[in-house]
Amino acid sequence: MSEYPQQPGKLIKWFDPRHRSLGSWAFILNRVTGLGLTLYLFLHLIMLGQLAKGPDAYDGFIALVKNPVFLVGELLVIAAALIHGLNGIRVGLTSFGIGNSKQKQLFIILMSLAAVAIIYFAFRMFAH
Amino acid sequence: MVDLWHVTFEVFRQKDNQKSHFNFFELDINPDEYVLDGIERIWAFTDRTLVFSHACHHSTCGACGMLVNGVEKLTCITSIRDVTRDGGKIRIEPLRNFPIISDLSVDMSSLYSRMEAVGHQPILPIQEEDSKGKVKSEGDLLRLADCIECGLCISACPIALTTSNYIGPAVLAGAQQHGELTPCILELVNSENGAWRCHSAYECTEVCPSNVDPAWRIMELRRKIIANRFSSFFTRK
Amino acid sequence: MDKPHVIVIGAGFTGVAVAYDLAKRGMDVTVLERGPIANGTSGRTHGLLHSGARYAVDDQESAIECIDENTILRKIAAQVIEPNGGLFVGIDDSDMNYRDKFIEGCQECHIPLEEYKPEIALRLEPELTKKIRTAILVPDGTFDPLRLALAFAASAKFHGAKFRLFCEVTGFLFDGLGNVTGVKFSDRTKGKMEELSADIVVSATGSWCGEVAEMAGDPNIPIRPTPGVMVTYDQRLCQRVINRLNEPGDGDIIVPQRQMITVGTTSFEADNLDYIPVTEQQVNLMYHRGCELIPSIANTRERGAFMASRPLVDSGLKGRSLARTFKCFDHKVSQNIDGLVTITGGKATTLRLMAEKTVDLVCQKLSFPAACETIETPLISYRQYFSIPNEVN
Repeated sequence: MSEYPQQPGKLIKWFDPRHRSLGSWAFILNRVTGLGLTLYLFLHLIMLGQLAKGPDAYDGFIALVKNPVFLVGELLVIAAALIHGLNGIRVGLTSFGIGNSKQKQLFIILMSLAAVAIIYFAFRMFAH
Repeated sequence: MVDLWHVTFEVFRQKDNQKSHFNFFELDINPDEYVLDGIERIWAFTDRTLVFSHACHHSTCGACGMLVNGVEKLTCITSIRDVTRDGGKIRIEPLRNFPIISDLSVDMSSLYSRMEAVGHQPILPIQEEDSKGKVKSEGDLLRLADCIECGLCISACPIALTTSNYIGPAVLAGAQQHGELTPCILELVNSENGAWRCHSAYECTEVCPSNVDPAWRIMELRRKIIANRFSSFFTRK
Repeated sequence: MDKPHVIVIGAGFTGVAVAYDLAKRGMDVTVLERGPIANGTSGRTHGLLHSGARYAVDDQESAIECIDENTILRKIAAQVIEPNGGLFVGIDDSDMNYRDKFIEGCQECHIPLEEYKPEIALRLEPELTKKIRTAILVPDGTFDPLRLALAFAASAKFHGAKFRLFCEVTGFLFDGLGNVTGVKFSDRTKGKMEELSADIVVSATGSWCGEVAEMAGDPNIPIRPTPGVMVTYDQRLCQRVINRLNEPGDGDIIVPQRQMITVGTTSFEADNLDYIPVTEQQVNLMYHRGCELIPSIANTRERGAFMASRPLVDSGLKGRSLARTFKCFDHKVSQNIDGLVTITGGKATTLRLMAEKTVDLVCQKLSFPAACETIETPLISYRQYFSIPNEVN
């Protein structure tokens, strides 16, 4: 079977939704949020590492992350988790043969849910 | 008499792995002709060096798949009226995710070889193909399979873009159509580059010109693989 | 002794079948094709595997060829054939007057047939017009045009033939006495000119064989390219081929394939063969004629319209006639040009026979004693065309 080299530059097309359908938006959102959550996981582990340095270091760190910039970052993490998780439900269901013909509608409903939840969390976090 | 449209064809060109570029051809053409007719006109009257693939001109052979304004189309059944307007342009590029032979023609050997490997049947009972394998019937009339091996689904698939090792939507659909999961086929589809690599973008079904619905067939194949592994787990001893 | 090298120009039905037969008889074969496989007339057929019944009244020699080759192809190329048969449907008085001649003709040509009453025919094909008065079942079929050509090409490659696609022959090489010793061609994928010599060149260029022969210095090939239009609709409204039970005419056949049907065809003459436009009048004619046989075509979306140029041979002119349906010209006989053979005319259904007769002539010219063996062995899978490496053994 003939194989041929893949040009790495082509992978930027992962994030190019032009001329593609709704399914590609699902794919792109899942890729972006997946990569984002992975990055966050590393940051999170580094943060937990602070605990080992004793209570003072930890308190200092907590003070730092109460800054609004970090709050926005935290909201992004929540948004990514919601989008990735809810889209994951769509992928899981269709993989078991459920809702294949309605996958677009399923995607729209789940993403609407995600949007509502994100707005709710934003409101809670920035209200005071 | 039909009103002709003035249309600019922006055609991808590449010879012998040299740097690619676009050529512009301006045509006065009946908008009810097909995109492939426009390309054949360019070859017949303007540029004899243009390389493109085609055979049946009525969507049964699958040779003339190209990107038309960025979207995978069988150019023989895509009318010019549907993809541009009078005074507009049509951008023609070769399919993605296949090596380019020259200009608009790509090498689909890998697709054909893999279709052979998973045992896709080119001809089978009418009821069986109509029902996508749900109704098995012997002694029925036969018909040619839906899949015309045009490669549009592989061009549109984001996973085929990620790696050429992914065996691709048409091939997974072919394995589902074959029906029986023989050990050889199972090894191909129940693997890192098989049915589990699909990420549910549904682009294959979106572009399929021939009623195959590869996305549905991939999900059906997953169900079959699970059932197969499940039963072999309990019958092992 | 070295194997003789034969160049075949054209990878349409005739070219691939000739290449297969040559390679199977042990010759060294190179096929040069200016486009991809079957890009001309061959690809653009509606895909009817003739039973011969269409010709059983007017042209019995062709009819017998067709039924014999039909039987062979069903065996060797089953992978690409819908073998479901065809109905000749009578609707009006004129059709019914043709009926007796038709049945008699088929019987003379040993074409098996079975006549059905209207209610039985409508049970077989419910979308047929209710005006039907009789239906006669014959062993017609449908083939996939590209894949039939690929199956022959794959089998040719299996026996060592080499295919050079996108290579357009631009002229011939001569020995100084006007005899052909090879060809000059341009590889369109690289934009380079090349030359290749051969013991004999076979032109299997169908409608274009006049142009090719002229390059070799023989302007007298009596070929009359005759295009016809076909229209494809987006639903499989019949399971068998549906023919009008009458003299051959415009729009008298409906060929099912996959989930489509194709209505054909017309017949006229054209000047430029490289591009023949489809006209709206012809599409409308196909629509109306198709609706006479299957009224529900009116509720079906048109999927595409296309044109193919049949190579018809003018009868009664010079050249070595092998049959009325196709002709094999030895240019040594007609213009004293040795080293070139032209095969043209014929139908897709008779591709194997055309190749057999052509290669018989090639063997005779080269004094290469080998018999045709293409009748019994099934062709290998068409997909192997892509997996067998392109190297001369």
